[in-house]
Amino acid sequence: MLGLIEPALFAILSIAIIGAGAGVVLANRITTSALLMAFTFLNVAGMFILLGAETIAMFQVLIYVGAITVLILYGVMFTPQSPRPYGLFFQTQKFWAALFVVPIAIFVALVSFAFRDSAGVGPKGGDLLPLATSVFRDFAFPFEVASVLLLAAMVGAIVLVKRDED
Amino acid sequence: MPVGPFGIDPVIWAPLRLIIAVLLAVGLVFNGALAQIYLERKIQAIIQDRLGPLHTGPWGLLQTFADAIKLLGKEDIRARLTDKWFFLAAPSIVFSPMLASYVVIPFAPGIVGADLNVGLLYLTTLGSMTVLGIVIAGWASNNKYSLIGGLRSAGQLISYEVPQILSLVTVVLVVGTLSMVGIAESQPGWQMNFLVLPLAFVTYFIAGLAETNRNPFDLPEAESELVAGFLTEYSGMRWAIFFLAEYGEVTVVSSIVATLWFGAWHGPFVEVFPLLGVLWFTLKTYFFVLVFMWIRATLPRLRIDQLMSLCWKVLIPLTLTNLMITAILLLAFPTTLVPVAIANWILLGVFVLALPYFQRRRLIGLRERLRTAA
Repeated sequence: MLGLIEPALFAILSIAIIGAGAGVVLANRITTSALLMAFTFLNVAGMFILLGAETIAMFQVLIYVGAITVLILYGVMFTPQSPRPYGLFFQTQKFWAALFVVPIAIFVALVSFAFRDSAGVGPKGGDLLPLATSVFRDFAFPFEVASVLLLAAMVGAIVLVKRDED
Repeated sequence: MPVGPFGIDPVIWAPLRLIIAVLLAVGLVFNGALAQIYLERKIQAIIQDRLGPLHTGPWGLLQTFADAIKLLGKEDIRARLTDKWFFLAAPSIVFSPMLASYVVIPFAPGIVGADLNVGLLYLTTLGSMTVLGIVIAGWASNNKYSLIGGLRSAGQLISYEVPQILSLVTVVLVVGTLSMVGIAESQPGWQMNFLVLPLAFVTYFIAGLAETNRNPFDLPEAESELVAGFLTEYSGMRWAIFFLAEYGEVTVVSSIVATLWFGAWHGPFVEVFPLLGVLWFTLKTYFFVLVFMWIRATLPRLRIDQLMSLCWKVLIPLTLTNLMITAILLLAFPTTLVPVAIANWILLGVFVLALPYFQRRRLIGLRERLRTAA
């Protein structure tokens, strides 16, 4: 009975992720999509916790739900809202969507079944130290390069939106 | 058959424990809010030379109960042009992360919901989730004041999260663990972290004031300019849920302060009677709740640009400097915390002494610009 809890949680989380993810694309209102996206991120964080990676789960919520979704909502709220009789841009292109989705779905399915016989996750919990050593010791240089790249992008964005003061 | 605590089957015990924990946390939040509203009224009254609630019950003690019953009895109003589902969901999105925070708060040795090894990260994560609910509340109300309130809240909370987390990281560097119980256990007796890291405490407290939307940072609900900000369209119990969330958040921030800088449950006689830890913890937490109220009664509200420049121009550079100096000193002197403490006290002194100087210079510059413009 206790062994059933983890598969049951996994099933609930995956249904929620897939359902909310489909909702993000299919919903006719952009605010609903943004909120469903936050919900998807929350469920992905739940998935990380099931895998014993609670630090990554926490960062997932902190950054994606707490910051990125809020910024998206921030942008969405400034766009005029009206009930739409017509579909959004990406809802009118079913053929092209299917053409791209099917190969990706097959690829993802193949990859996930390739991991079926792997050893599974290690002891539950405590991904904090491995994460810290890999980011700040083993892969410190790529991490710093990525940081510099992000910093450059940020400075560029600020320069672009800054008005000339004269 | 495996037998869990109290001779109950573990399959039944796990959900039962969850229900008991949630009920306890809800009780704690509700009773805490009742006590805090009464305290807030009385303390503001004392500071402003008034009497506060007097007539309902002895010393006005029943006034908050009367208000709660009034709020429960109010009609559940929803304006026609509000967005139904978002409007109804927003209070719960604000309330539930706050409630979930109580899982990791260490009340006494052994009395903690779950000793997560990422406990502190968990708390900051939940703190960052409330902003989503506030933004949604502001948008769904379909009201310009509410929208401005929600957007202000988003900007404010995202900005102040940075100095908040940087101050917490400084403590984590010194203590070496993210677990709330581990942090509490690392400060036995009088060896409180406050003595080592006073500047991190001050910056965290300022950021915490902003995080909980309390004065002088209550711009999202500024009555004098925005009616009531994101709360304008809410009434009755939904409005009350927002306020419960705010008082709960104040308690959570105060208990983080009590745990990280003031030794959580540690106090006289805790080794003999571990349950006494609850008393010390509650006293420490409520001391900071009282400081929150004291600040509310004392300081005027900031303007939004002042709020942002305080965060980005003062707090973030300061906390970054503090973090870097602490890290370097911890690497240079791995056995003793004395250099870290000295550096932190010096930085705190510089911060406190330099603020009036820069304020003065800014005012002089402003006056100069006005004179040239005239």
